[in-house]
Order: sequence, then structure tokens, then C-alpha cells
Amino acid sequence: MGTSKNAGKSVVVAALAEALWRAGEPYGLCSIGRDGEAADALDAAPKPRFFLRPGAQVATAASLVPRSPALEITAVTDERSALGTIVLARVRAPGFVEIAGPPSAGALRRIAGALGADGRFVVIDGAVDRIAALRDGDDAIVVAVGAAGAPTLGHAVDDVAALVARLRLPAFDPVRPFVYVEGALTAAAAASFVRDGEQRQIVVRDPTRVAFAGRAFAEIAARLDLRCERTLRPIACTVAPLSGERAFEPLAFARAVAERTGLPVFDVYAGTAAGTLAA
Amino acid sequence: MPREPHGNLSFRFGNLSFRFGSLSFERFGRVTFPWDSAAGEAIGADWLLAAIAPGGAFGRAARFRERAFRRGDEELARREIARVAHIAGTLEAGRLASVRAAIAGAPDPGALLVRAAAGGILSDVDFFELSRFLDAAEEVRQLVAGVPNEDLTGWPPPTCVVPEMGLTASAGDEELRAALAFGRTTERTFYLSDGFDPHLASARGELASAQAAYDAARSRLGERIARYAGVDRVRDGEFVLMREAVRQPLPPEVRVLREAPTYLLCEVALDDTALAALGARDAAAARVADAEEAVRGRLSRQVAASAASLARTCDELGELDLLFARAQFAQRYDCRVPTIDVGPRVEFRDARYLPLVEALARHGRPYAPVSLELEGVAVVTGPNMGGKTAALRTLGFLVACVALGLPVPAASATLPLVSAIAWIGIGARPVRDDDGDDDKLLSAFGGEVIALRRFLESDATRALVLVDEFARTTSPREGRALLVALLESLREHGVVGLAATHLTGIARAAGVPHFASGGLHGLAPHHGAPLDLAAALTRIAGAMDYRLTEVEEDAAPAADALALAEALGLSPDLIARAKSALS
Repeated sequence: MGTSKNAGKSVVVAALAEALWRAGEPYGLCSIGRDGEAADALDAAPKPRFFLRPGAQVATAASLVPRSPALEITAVTDERSALGTIVLARVRAPGFVEIAGPPSAGALRRIAGALGADGRFVVIDGAVDRIAALRDGDDAIVVAVGAAGAPTLGHAVDDVAALVARLRLPAFDPVRPFVYVEGALTAAAAASFVRDGEQRQIVVRDPTRVAFAGRAFAEIAARLDLRCERTLRPIACTVAPLSGERAFEPLAFARAVAERTGLPVFDVYAGTAAGTLAA
Repeated sequence: MPREPHGNLSFRFGNLSFRFGSLSFERFGRVTFPWDSAAGEAIGADWLLAAIAPGGAFGRAARFRERAFRRGDEELARREIARVAHIAGTLEAGRLASVRAAIAGAPDPGALLVRAAAGGILSDVDFFELSRFLDAAEEVRQLVAGVPNEDLTGWPPPTCVVPEMGLTASAGDEELRAALAFGRTTERTFYLSDGFDPHLASARGELASAQAAYDAARSRLGERIARYAGVDRVRDGEFVLMREAVRQPLPPEVRVLREAPTYLLCEVALDDTALAALGARDAAAARVADAEEAVRGRLSRQVAASAASLARTCDELGELDLLFARAQFAQRYDCRVPTIDVGPRVEFRDARYLPLVEALARHGRPYAPVSLELEGVAVVTGPNMGGKTAALRTLGFLVACVALGLPVPAASATLPLVSAIAWIGIGARPVRDDDGDDDKLLSAFGGEVIALRRFLESDATRALVLVDEFARTTSPREGRALLVALLESLREHGVVGLAATHLTGIARAAGVPHFASGGLHGLAPHHGAPLDLAAALTRIAGAMDYRLTEVEEDAAPAADALALAEALGLSPDLIARAKSALS
């Protein structure tokens, strides 16, 4: 998932797909939603297509299944995207495939489950602000941050640090006093806890139930002991130091993200040219 | 079930029909039943329709083509009910369920048939769905194969032959199935495999070689750049070179897209060899695309040629779905084949009004079956909660079963096909659906009168008329007069009718038979502790004799209403005052 649009998610997904193919590891590929337009509604950029090699299994809308090279259709699901019914298909020859997924978290889980039924890796091309799609999963999460989403390197690092902190909400300690929040913890409810000087653990079911992000999250998290019943697994960050408007210094960006998040950070553009940065 | 005529339709999907050639569309009307919504609700027809609801798109389309049996369809109805009973008695429940599950799970090929018939080239997803459809149809054929179709013995009469059951294994379906088999894998997936066309195999072989040649050419360039930059490899798309690692001049394989103070954004610049390989790859890919599309075109034309056969299979699947839904109903509720009488005669023994049976069962309470023998019009009287309305509903339910081609939930039954089932009195709705909300301006009595007037203005002959306490909200004297007049009129129309009432002397005055339920016997009053309604209802049911017997005179007035009120926890003081007033 990304901190903003054009954070480099699709580049990361393509890199993961290529790495899995090179490793001879079968994998599945799906995405969260798709709005039905050929180009992005906000910046008019064309929606990404992935060049996939045999062995990949994909979920996409029936209307997006390429005419050539032909895919092997393995299932027509009951799930729907903005472009119609979602189908599962196997790549039989190298070629470009456009991916589209269902808009709801539940449907995405079912699709991912079907793709990974034989135990293969499943890569999900996530989205901005779609943290709810991570609900009820035990997925490893890669967080993408890019120069496109923030005016300065510092802002971009703050954003990714807040998102990672939210995703890494620690498990609650049942021995210590706690307040369990059913459903979502809203910013208003959290502010109320802050005003009341709440010292107990504030527990939500999982980090996706925290309904505020960015600096608001950072500020509230500094004042409350936010916890969750089910933890998520952010395992790495990626940086995209380039955008149409600005460019961050790649090494400095990657190092800053690694330092603030404590996660391994990869620059897919620089690849081995910049080296892999571990925290 | 009889089918509404729908012209020379080639095939349909959903409730749209499509006539190939003239490109005309026809929308099917709503299924009509011989009862209005109020009567349907009162006699449990809605429950009944839900109990035999189609399992999927084919059944729903088939239901649109059906109509209920009506007067004159007696022979058809006998055959259909016999067929349903035969299947219910022959196939085990698991097999029935398997057939219905296979039909419900089959994708509807209607839309793709339309596209193919219109000259469109179908997609691989379409072929996958079509293959699944043909597989499902074949599975259904296998499941119904071997089910005997011999005449029933004893009933129906020897002239009645149980119609053919099962799916027609048409040549069109089989040819298409064989054609698509090249694309089917052992996992039942679909792939436009090389088996469809030798050209496909050769084109794909050329593409694989061309792709490998291009990959190799590009790889060589990438390796040179990696060596230059001192990294393991560079990625396929855009990549970054740090300025500190860059020595001038840049190698010709590197194309700079953008410069930043500390790095360069680059991509691989293809040399002549790589460009030639890329061109060869693209040309090979185009040949593969052409070959694949040619196969799709050929298959699509074959689908178009088989469209009528496939549409027929859809129809047959739908009809099987409905037929087996009825058979499941007959099995589940232990239904029997009724005798269908052309006269205004009704006779049933130990009949069950199934919606009430199920409602009572949910509360752990038993149901008392109803028996009745009736010719023409009759009156039924009895205490509150004594089963008068249940008797009306049971009669309506059984007649609705026959109209829908179903065996009935009774030990035995003789029932008519009717032109309409009318419900007059409590629960009747005075206003047609398209009359807006004028009914809100009417009193309960006014509403009953309007509903009755509308019924009498229609063709009321050969109807089943169920009258539940008509005119109970007006003065007893005039209400009685109206009810007597109504029953006389119904009798003269030759309808089958049953009127439940608390008014006395109705049957004798109207010259019709009189049935009475047994009433309460030994019902203990409720004392002291807070009322346990469920327990009270069980006590009342245990004390109530629901049997209907024909009587000569109105039963002597029993204080059953007071006993019921007492059992339902009304204050003893109030009961005592009522008894005093009564005496």
C-alpha cells in the first residue's frame, strides 16, 4: 500500500512479480479495486499494466482479459469490480495484463484466498487510504512512499512513519487495564480520550480500525496507549524518489525512511545501483 | 405446467427474448396466478411459491413462461401432478438436490449467445462459461439418466402417460462441447490451446523464439550497463544511476530520461540488434493474436450455429429446475396426488396448511390436520382460535397447489381447478394495485364491500370464494343479511365457497351446509402468575377440538370466548362481570 498516489506501488508490484518469476516461485496477482477508467481519474496517467511471465495467476475483470496472448481462464468468481465480474486466469505466454480487483475488503480476501489456494505467494496491488482492505488478513505489508505525495522529503518521511506506526500498532496486554473500542476508533473519540487523560490501553480489533492517519495519528498516538487485538505485519518500505514535480535525493530519502520506520527500505528504481538499505 | 405462447423465439436470456434474423425483442409479462395479492397472502400462496422457487436463472426464465392451471386444463394438470409425484417417488432426495444444484450452478449463456448470433467474436471467458454450461447440462443428463418414465399404475387413468423427462442431448450441444474440449484441461479451465489449430502452435512457437531472442538481446545490453555501473543488474523499466557511479561518456546502451543533482533517471537504449529482435517479437505476437482470434471467430460461429440448440437446453434446464422444485416439495411434505374434479366439489382428509404447520413447529407445537367434504357453498362456525380461518386457508392452499401442478399435503383430496381464488372479509384488500391509496379513505366494512364488488364484477363463476367473517364490523342484523345474500348469490353462481362467521343462522337462511368446529373442552383458566403466552396457547390448542363436522343447527352458544379470554389471562374480575352480563 502507499502513502499517496504515485508512491510507486505498481513499480514495486512489478518488481516483486519479476523477482518471484526469476526465483521460479509461482505467484498470484490481484489488486484492490479499479475505477473503471483507462486512465487515472486524478492525474490522467494511464493505469498500469504488468508484463507477466508464465506461471503467474491473476485476478482481473472479464472485460480486461487480454485477447492476446491468451490467458487460461481458471474461474469466474461471484465478485465484481467496476469493470464487471472478476475472473481468475493463468498466464501461459509472456504479455501485458491489466489487473482489476473488487472494491470491498471481504471480496478481496476471497479473491486472494482463491489465488493462493495452492499455497502460492499472492501479491496485492494496494491503494492509498484503503487500509480496511488489510482487515482479517495475515499478510505481509510493503509500504510505498514517493516524492509525488509530499512537498518535502521531511513530509514524506513523516507520512510514511505515521502509516507504519499505525500498521504496527502493538498487541494489547490483557493483564493491564484497557478500554476496548468496538468498530472504528475515530479522531473525535480519540481526542475525547486525550482530553480525559486516559491512561488505560485503548484497544481496537486491528490497526485498520483506527480511522485517522498522518500527523493526526502521530499526535494522538504520542498521548494515548493505542493497542490492537490482532496485529498486522508491515515488513518493508519502498521509496520512489522521483515524481513529475520533484525529486528527492535517493540515498538520503531511503535512509531517512529506514531510520524513522525501523523497517528495511528498498529503492526499486535504483535497484542494486543504489543497493538495498536495511535499517 | 402450461406455457404461455411466445411466438417464434429462437432464444432468450433473463426475461428478454431474442428472435434471430428479425432482431426483435419481446419482454415477457409477469406471471399471473388466479389470485390477487391479498388472497395469495391469506391462503399462503406466497409461501408456496417461495417453497417451489426456481434455483437459478433458467428456472426463473421458465417460470416467466408458465401460467397456473385453470378451468379446462384438468387433463394437463393431472399429468403434471402425476409427473411430479412420480419423480418425487422415484428419485431420492439427494439426487433431486444434486440436479437442482447443478442447474443453479450453471452459468447462463444467454448474453453470449446473443453476441455470437449477432456476429460477435466471443472471448475466452465466454468459452469458459459456455464450457461450464455444457458440463452442467451433461451432469444433469447423467443425473436424470435411467430415471424410469413408465406410466403410473392406479393413478392417473391409463390414458395418462407420464411425459418424457430429462434433457434432450442435442447434436448441436454435443458438437460444440466436442469443439470446446480442446480448450478444457483436467482442472476444467479453458485455454485457447494449440489443439484448436496447427497454425496456433506454430505461431506460438515462433513467438517464444522471438521473445527469447529479444530477451537475450536486451539482457546483453542490461548486463553491459550493469558492468558499467558496477551493479548486479538493472531493472527492465526506468532505473537510476547515481552520478557518483557514472563515468563519462555514458555507454550507448543508456538513455537518460531525466537528470537530478545526484542521479540520472535512465532506461535501456536498444541497439540495432535488440530493435530488430523487438520488431520480430512484435510481428510474431501479432501473428499469434491473429491466429488466436481466428480460432475464437471459428468457435463463435459454431456457437451461433448451435444457439437454438443451446437455448433449448436452457429452457429444458429451467423446466427441470421447476419440475424438480415441485418434486422436492412433494417429497419434503409427503404430498399426495389429488383427484381433480370438474364440478364444484371439494373433499380432503387430514390436510395440512403448511405455512401454519411450520410456524407451529418453530414453537414446538403440533398441528391438527383438517378434513372437509363440501359441494358448492357452505358455512363454518366455531369459537375463536377454533380453526375456522385455518380451514379456509387450508382449502385455498390445496386449490393453489393444484393450480401450480403440485401434489397436495393431505392424506387424500378431491379438488377443482378454479378460475379465481377470492378472499373476502378479514384481510381482503379493497383496492387494486394501481388505484393509489384510496383504500385509506375506507372503513374496514367499506373496504370489504369494495373488494366484494370488484370480485362480483369479474367473472365469478367457477371460482373458489373464501369468506372470513364478512361484515363483522357493521351492525349484526344488517351484516347477517348481507352475508346471507352473498352466500345465496355465490351458490347460484356455482362457485365453491366457504364462509367463516360468528353470526348465527346464516347457513339455514342461505340454504347451504353448515360445518362447525368442535370447540373447547376442559380448558383450565389462567390463575395468578404472570401469563406465559406460549404455555397458554399450548393449553388452548390441547383443549380445542379442531375437527369440522357438518351440523344441522347452529351449535348452542358456548361461552368459549370468555373461556379463551380467561385462559389468556384477562382479569378474573372482568371475566366475572362478563359472565354476569351474559346471564
